[in-house]
Amino acid sequence: MALDRRWLPVASFAAAAVAVLAAAQPVRAGGVNFGEDSDANDGPSYFGFVRDGDGSPVSGARVTAAPQAGGSLVTRSNSMGVYKIPGFAKEIDPKTVGISCTKDGYTQANVLRRGQADGKDPIEVDCTLQKQ
Amino acid sequence: MKLAHWLIAAAFLIALIQGPPCRAQTLAGSVTSSEEGAMEGVLVSAQKDGSPITITVVSDTSGHFRFPDGRLSAGHYALRIRATGYELAGPQGIDLGATSADVAIKLRKTADLAAQLTNTEWFMSMPGTAEQKRPLIECMSCHTFERIVRSTYDADAFVPVLKRMAQYANNSTSARVQSRVAARAVNDDAVHKLAAYLATINLSSGKTWNYQLQVLPRPKGRATHVVITEFEMPRKTIAPHDVRTDRDGNVWYSDFVENFLGELDPKTGALKEYPIPVSKPAFPVGTLDLEADADGNLWLALMFQTGLARFDMATKTFRIFPLPGDLNDDAMQQSMVMAGAAGVDGKVWTNDVARQSIMRLDLKTGAYERIDPFAFLGKGHMHAPYGMAADKQNNLYFMDFGGEAVGRVDAKNGAPTIFPTPTEKSRPRRTMLDDQGRLWFAEFAANKLAMFDIKTEAFKEWDVPTPHTYPYDVFRDKNGELWSGGMASDRVLRFDPQSGKSIEYLLPRPTNIRRVFVDNSTNPVTFWAGNNHGAEILRLEPLD
Repeated sequence: MALDRRWLPVASFAAAAVAVLAAAQPVRAGGVNFGEDSDANDGPSYFGFVRDGDGSPVSGARVTAAPQAGGSLVTRSNSMGVYKIPGFAKEIDPKTVGISCTKDGYTQANVLRRGQADGKDPIEVDCTLQKQ
Repeated sequence: MKLAHWLIAAAFLIALIQGPPCRAQTLAGSVTSSEEGAMEGVLVSAQKDGSPITITVVSDTSGHFRFPDGRLSAGHYALRIRATGYELAGPQGIDLGATSADVAIKLRKTADLAAQLTNTEWFMSMPGTAEQKRPLIECMSCHTFERIVRSTYDADAFVPVLKRMAQYANNSTSARVQSRVAARAVNDDAVHKLAAYLATINLSSGKTWNYQLQVLPRPKGRATHVVITEFEMPRKTIAPHDVRTDRDGNVWYSDFVENFLGELDPKTGALKEYPIPVSKPAFPVGTLDLEADADGNLWLALMFQTGLARFDMATKTFRIFPLPGDLNDDAMQQSMVMAGAAGVDGKVWTNDVARQSIMRLDLKTGAYERIDPFAFLGKGHMHAPYGMAADKQNNLYFMDFGGEAVGRVDAKNGAPTIFPTPTEKSRPRRTMLDDQGRLWFAEFAANKLAMFDIKTEAFKEWDVPTPHTYPYDVFRDKNGELWSGGMASDRVLRFDPQSGKSIEYLLPRPTNIRRVFVDNSTNPVTFWAGNNHGAEILRLEPLD
């Protein structure tokens, strides 16, 4: 049964939320200091889908998150086209974080940021790639 | 007489002058026990009286062993074996004369199996969750687990012990403990949690352990086709950390707990030590990373003595590149150096361990600049720039040993890029860059070997075959095989990433391996590493 396109954003958010929750890290021991990591003081994390023009997931796309203040983090979309990026330093305004997607044989057609940052809520940014 | 007859006669005369054919000196024999009969995979070691060199071979499927021809000269040799669960009943030594000798080695069951377990086997044996065991991978930096499991501390008694140990310098061994000058903050909750766990696996509540001791199988098949040479250091406090060969086949090492650069002649076992000036007398001494630049000169990261040292191979002298006073505080520590592409722009990379940042030395001015590659990331996570490599443009690639990423710093503008590894909590440790632009590295906490292609920015990861190996480093040889070692398993891993097949060579004694190195000039290749806690350098020659 084909999913009505009107429900795609909802379905994509739900699927991505599941993916993010499933991948959530427990706190970890931190080496010789016997310390532990904490996300408590980080900014919001990012996640999203990379799709082609037909709405099919694009796996292995290079996803770059680059705050204007400098630095960049590069990850890849998985087999479902999902990527996730941990939160940056809380001083970094999420509005200044640019997210872009590339893959050989494709051009980036659109980047859609769904909603605005609200505290610690993950921010969804979806990419559409067009086959060349 | 024809010419041919003259030639035969001449050859006969030469043979008469030279005496009887010189038969190569060797030692061969068999290994048996009453429990198993002929035993495969028993390491048999021979050390000539007064020599720093011990040679080890491994018994085959019939229990036979044979030392390579010409490796042993006449004299008295002490014999020892390694076969977990057994000890040597006899003979304890042998007189090797002018001809070959055969020896029948008998083993008997040991009464103290715990004394023979590797850290990996203790990990396998201990009850507890992965999260409970994870902090123990730090303990191996200074001592084996035997010290922990034989202790009788309860949880309360463990707390001050753990807090005290957190103030030791990284470059500490049982033979030479060194304290930090700048105290480190310790997470109290984490210490209490670890103390409570350790009290469940030691002898605080009984005379023996309340869990079964697990052991790994002995080597078999190709894992027995090897010759291992141990070069014993003249002092127990010498801790060879990084070991590498030069163009002439000499072996160089950094000493983790003493301020020397060492040079070993592998033909004789003779050692030369080049003292490195001590610039901060009240601080821990010893060096970690040992790298060569494009001219073959050696570079050392000076740890708590701070700064970098270049050793000129022609003049055998050091040039020290000190840190300026405003940077050189009590916590300052350089563990890594990368000068491989310094010829491009006159810059050498290093790190600032305490501030989890990258430093770059300008060779012309002697000035250091700081680059924080994690400044934009969340602050609640541990990071630690560790193993380093530089590409042909002197862009830096580094391992985030505190976290789970490969990092890049652009040589031209200093811009950092972080590439998280596919496996979370992987803690990439040491690395090498091959001539095809591929970084090969060990994922210490993930028990994986990994590759990052700097052109495609794609990762590949492979599980190591034995759980709880915790690989420290990896080296890709000329045949495309990977060589790895670590602080846990007393084994050297040889892994073919194409086929996924692996061989694990057991080592003759407890061996704390850090940097691994492969000499590609021999055929087959030769593996080198230091035994950081055992005051020896190790050469492993596979026979196929």
